[in-house]
Amino acid sequence: MRGNNEEHHARFFASFSLAISAVMGIAFASNMFTLFVFYEILTLSTYPLVAHKGTPEAIRGARTYLGILLGTSIGFQLLAVIWTYSITGTLDFTKGGILEGHIAGPAVAVLLALYAFGIGKAALMPFHRWLPAAMVAPTPVSALLHAVAVVKAGVFTMLKVGIYIFGIDFLAETGASEWLMWLAAYSIIAASVIAMTKDNLKARLAYSTISQLSYITLGMALATSMGALGGGMHIAMHAMGKITLFMAAGSIYVATHKTNISQMNGLGKIMPITYGAFFIGALSIIGLPPLGGSWSKWLLILGAADTGQWVMIGVLMVSSLLNVAYLLSIIGRGFFLPLPEGVPTKVTESPLLVWLPPAITAFGTLLLFFYAGVLQEFLMPIVSGY
Amino acid sequence: MAIESLPTAVLFFAGAALLIMLPQGRLRAALLLAVPVLAAWQVWTLPFGDHVQVNFFGLDLELMRVDKLSRIFALIFSLAAFLGNLYAWHVRDTVQQVSALLYAGAAIGAVFAGDLITLFFYWEGTAIASVFLIWARRTEGAYHTGMRYLIVQISSGVILLAGAVLYYRETGSLAFEHMELGSPGTWLIFIAFGIKAAFPLLHNWLQDAYPAATVTGTVILSSFTTKLAIYSLARGFAGTEILIYIGAVMTLFPIFYAVIENDLRRVLAYSLNNQLGFMVVGIGIGTELALNGTAAHAVAHILYKSLLFMSVGAVLFRTGTAKGSELGGLYKTMPLTMIFCVVGAAAISAFPLFSGFVTKSLILSASAKEHYYIIWAILLFASAGVFHHSGIKIPYFAFFAHDSGKRPKEAPLHMLLAMGLTAFLSIFIGVYPEPLYALLPYEVSYDSYTATHVITQLQLLFFSALAFTVLMRTRIYPPELRSVNLDADWSYRRLLPNIIRAVANTVSKIWAANSAFWHRTISTVISRLYNSHGPEGRIAQVWPTGSMVLWIAILLGVTLIVNFLS
Amino acid sequence: MSEHRTEDDSDFSAIARLFLWVDDKKKVDRFVYGLYGACALLFGADFLYHKHTYVPVENIPGFYALYGFIMCALLVIAAKGLRIILKRPEDYYAPMDVETEDYPEDQMERLNHGD
Repeated sequence: MRGNNEEHHARFFASFSLAISAVMGIAFASNMFTLFVFYEILTLSTYPLVAHKGTPEAIRGARTYLGILLGTSIGFQLLAVIWTYSITGTLDFTKGGILEGHIAGPAVAVLLALYAFGIGKAALMPFHRWLPAAMVAPTPVSALLHAVAVVKAGVFTMLKVGIYIFGIDFLAETGASEWLMWLAAYSIIAASVIAMTKDNLKARLAYSTISQLSYITLGMALATSMGALGGGMHIAMHAMGKITLFMAAGSIYVATHKTNISQMNGLGKIMPITYGAFFIGALSIIGLPPLGGSWSKWLLILGAADTGQWVMIGVLMVSSLLNVAYLLSIIGRGFFLPLPEGVPTKVTESPLLVWLPPAITAFGTLLLFFYAGVLQEFLMPIVSGY
Repeated sequence: MAIESLPTAVLFFAGAALLIMLPQGRLRAALLLAVPVLAAWQVWTLPFGDHVQVNFFGLDLELMRVDKLSRIFALIFSLAAFLGNLYAWHVRDTVQQVSALLYAGAAIGAVFAGDLITLFFYWEGTAIASVFLIWARRTEGAYHTGMRYLIVQISSGVILLAGAVLYYRETGSLAFEHMELGSPGTWLIFIAFGIKAAFPLLHNWLQDAYPAATVTGTVILSSFTTKLAIYSLARGFAGTEILIYIGAVMTLFPIFYAVIENDLRRVLAYSLNNQLGFMVVGIGIGTELALNGTAAHAVAHILYKSLLFMSVGAVLFRTGTAKGSELGGLYKTMPLTMIFCVVGAAAISAFPLFSGFVTKSLILSASAKEHYYIIWAILLFASAGVFHHSGIKIPYFAFFAHDSGKRPKEAPLHMLLAMGLTAFLSIFIGVYPEPLYALLPYEVSYDSYTATHVITQLQLLFFSALAFTVLMRTRIYPPELRSVNLDADWSYRRLLPNIIRAVANTVSKIWAANSAFWHRTISTVISRLYNSHGPEGRIAQVWPTGSMVLWIAILLGVTLIVNFLS
Repeated sequence: MSEHRTEDDSDFSAIARLFLWVDDKKKVDRFVYGLYGACALLFGADFLYHKHTYVPVENIPGFYALYGFIMCALLVIAAKGLRIILKRPEDYYAPMDVETEDYPEDQMERLNHGD
């Protein structure tokens, strides 16, 4: 922030703190209503962050952001919450779900649809537009929005609904989530393809996020314990990888004021740490060892194999390849194509506090590979015991 | 720490980490030589057995399975890394140095992998580490080629992962042992191996990428990826009959391309493909003799193929080109390189007293003994063909043929040393194969030097040379031309992009027309509404009465319709 | 390169001078006759020893010789035919491959003989 001489620090940091506390509220909510309230607080508190720059473009982006997130949550999610309460009389998160026995037939799928589309923060297509629209935000916000807080709040809610409201077994028995699985698969591939066509680095990362979020939705929709576990783990793995990418993108912007990938030839030579961190983050997103992302992908593929969904395995594989194409090409250009004429080839990294965070999170993805077992034990209770 | 509990791959990774800390210069180059030596010593001293088990993420991983099959591959990989690094002594590019170590380490790690997950990890490791040897050329073409290479290699990895998952679900085991082809899981694993082994139609990454790498990068690339795939096939699919036919096709079609290819490094890539075919046939036959042949041939092949890539690389290093059409007459000033190239050519052509002779014959004999006569005839043809394009064409067009007028200096000393050492080993194996035979997976009771074998082989080679000479002197032999020859990669480099472009254009046109239509319609509706209902509109002029009348009229109309309908 | 002065054979090392005969048409002819002779001898050898064979066709006298010659000739002619279908200009895939690019100067040591 300060590296770019931006203004309104107080408003910025106040909203930032509020957003973080809203995320905590979501994380610790014990029933769907509390979660819903904090979900809305998060939407509202991040709005000033998106509109931070105050330019017409930023205002327009922020309006899309607010419109989609509020519209879906009030139009669908609230309806779903009320419906759930009216048929079950409770909104408490319960192992194995609360809906079984209260609802049957196609209504299950409809209710799931209300939830799935109502949770706009999970950026399931076609309600994904807010994410690229929010690209106008400053980079730390993008990191927060796209990598950690907002989108993770979305997919976290998605998992909560899948596991504690519906219950995985109930979903599996009724087959209500099968359409969601296909939609998530479509989201994964379509968003990756769009990401390939984006030259703006942050836009590319935003579409990559849309694609990766659908991994988590897919994990839930597979309705197996392995899938749900993989989805849960992917929240952590993707967060660590994607925040690295966004912070590296921010570091590139701070040091060179470049936003487009086609202008980034040779920058790896003058910013080796930033690009190194980006490389590691990208490998984790792709799901390559020895980085954290490989484990969540492994679990998701196991989950898909459990349900006999060959196509889903194929989707995960193709998605990896698309990730390679749109992420590692940045590395190839950055390290191995010549710098434009006239740019001196001496190392000019961004300030310490800008390049250090991505370096740390990149190291984090490495640690997550070796300590994934701990994370798994941590997540195990959500899928076992019933 | 006891050396047994340290996976060999870790030696390489630690070496790479240490390398970054050392200053650029001889110390680094020396470290690059020391690591493979240390690794080879470790592999040599390790007893057979499973040495490093880790429980990871609820999976039992086996990192160091040392047996006769994995040991011989690990040893030759270490040797190849040593020779490659010696050849690259002059390189002062950290990226290439680090990736050479990581790449070799990952390949050796994969060879020792006792389970499919560990194999997958190192499998992807070889893909990631090796692409830098291509990108390190630092040109736009190399960047694009590297991307293609990377995507193909990673797809092999993800297919392996998917196969491993399905195999795990089918059998409940992740151990990397012999598999029967049949279930979806085993087929996927088979295809994953097949991509890296450059099966026909899956092969083009090889001919595409290897000539695009740096001078030294190609030498290093040529040793590991494909031979790792050969090892994996030998481990997992020995005796799978379909491999015999795949291998036969593999030996056959690259030789046609090699004859008309101009870039000598691509000629070598085609002949590399052809040599892999021999090994794949050996695996498919799957008898002890055939598998011994495959392992032995892999060893000999790594050496002479490195040697050939080194000699052509030295020419490229001195002249800036490796194209047959631009070269010729270099023997005058690069005689030692020429001699080493001829040694490599003799070895790949399986001349008696050179390494190919004592290894390829194991596979040919196995095919004859198992009564695969057609296959045997194809392999024989491929042997003659390989002599034709690698044995004669490479040295002839680079060092003799018409004088190009180029008078480059002899290759630098370290390159000569690396080539000399490799040439020595190629001859040593040919003259005295017993030490190599002793390392093979099974007992060997085979003598290559029978009168029949020597005489028939010489007949085959001399008459092939005769054919070359006759065709050359009658000017039937196709001249070296600057050109590109279409291969299966055309499908994804030209056809597929064209299809995608056409589809994308159509879709976006329909999309644009569609949205333009809606945009127009909605604008019209809005502007009409605005005209009638807007602040300036007719209805607004008499706002309360006017609108009420309108609404009543509408209401009446609706009532009327409902009335009629009911 | 020495366009300005005639090259002297003594410019080259002793090993290289062993091969200078390849520039002399007559000596090359002599080498080729040598090859013909060696081929004839090898062909004849088939009648002089007992072949250990596995494959029936191996017993045909001179099988390997004929097979090598015919198949190689066919190989070249077939490849030449393939070229008609497969050949494209060198810049066919450019700039997506290295075919038309020069090898980067800074990665080689372009030195001439005697430098």
